[in-house]
Amino acid sequence: MTRPIELERGNDMTRILVADDASFMRQMIREIVEAEGFEVCGEASDGIEAVELFKELHPDICTMDIVMPRRSGIDAVRAVVELDPGARIVMCSALGQEALVTEAMQAGAKDFIVKPFKPDSVISTLKRVIEKEE
Amino acid sequence: MDLNKYRILFIEEATEHLSEMSSALLELEKDSSSSEAIDQIFRMAHGIKGMAASLEYGSITEVSHCLEDRMSLIRDGGELGSGEEVALLFRGLEALEAMIAVVRETGKPPPPSFPAAVAFLEANRALANAEPAPEAKKKALIR
Repeated sequence: MTRPIELERGNDMTRILVADDASFMRQMIREIVEAEGFEVCGEASDGIEAVELFKELHPDICTMDIVMPRRSGIDAVRAVVELDPGARIVMCSALGQEALVTEAMQAGAKDFIVKPFKPDSVISTLKRVIEKEE
Repeated sequence: MDLNKYRILFIEEATEHLSEMSSALLELEKDSSSSEAIDQIFRMAHGIKGMAASLEYGSITEVSHCLEDRMSLIRDGGELGSGEEVALLFRGLEALEAMIAVVRETGKPPPPSFPAAVAFLEANRALANAEPAPEAKKKALIR
């Protein structure tokens, strides 16, 4: 499922890596962020791919699902932050996963979005994280 | 959002998830403490819940959420509690299979009163009431 995506892009486009084991969720995030002019530079379907693609693509920001096969989103955050302490990672969580979100934030994630996704809230969270860290 | 596109994706992915859930459930029936099988069923139920909630399929969200919570309890306990619990998980799987078949056939989610869903949720409540509270369960394990 590894899918680095090369697109012609303007200098000011925000490049985003989307990590989620469900292609349904990846498409949904893609649709939301592309409508806002972001570029999805890669899609990962588990925690191991997420770390590999982060290393390869150096995205501006990454959305990371918590529950994924092979390596959980929280473990992937730890690995990515070790590689790049400034990495901007936004967790994708579901209601009832508050404890896991806290763990991910302690591991270095910057913020989180909650499923089912509301486009406005996804975009405002991503923008807030990008602006805060710039 | 193109609902039609997401409905098709949902049917595809949920069907795969149910097939994986079914294999894991058979594995768990053989080895009641298989952490791999427990984790797999948990993740499949969680995945279906996320997609169903995004499409506002309330009854599927409720059943998958309930199954996810049940798997979380099993994971905390380290193994399946009883034969009744295996039967309950199979019932949950069957309910989800029937509900996803409704989406496939009608293009619409099943109603909240969908019989297989109601039966599963009731069976889960009955089992929960018959079980010791989690704290009591923990103490019993320690002793």
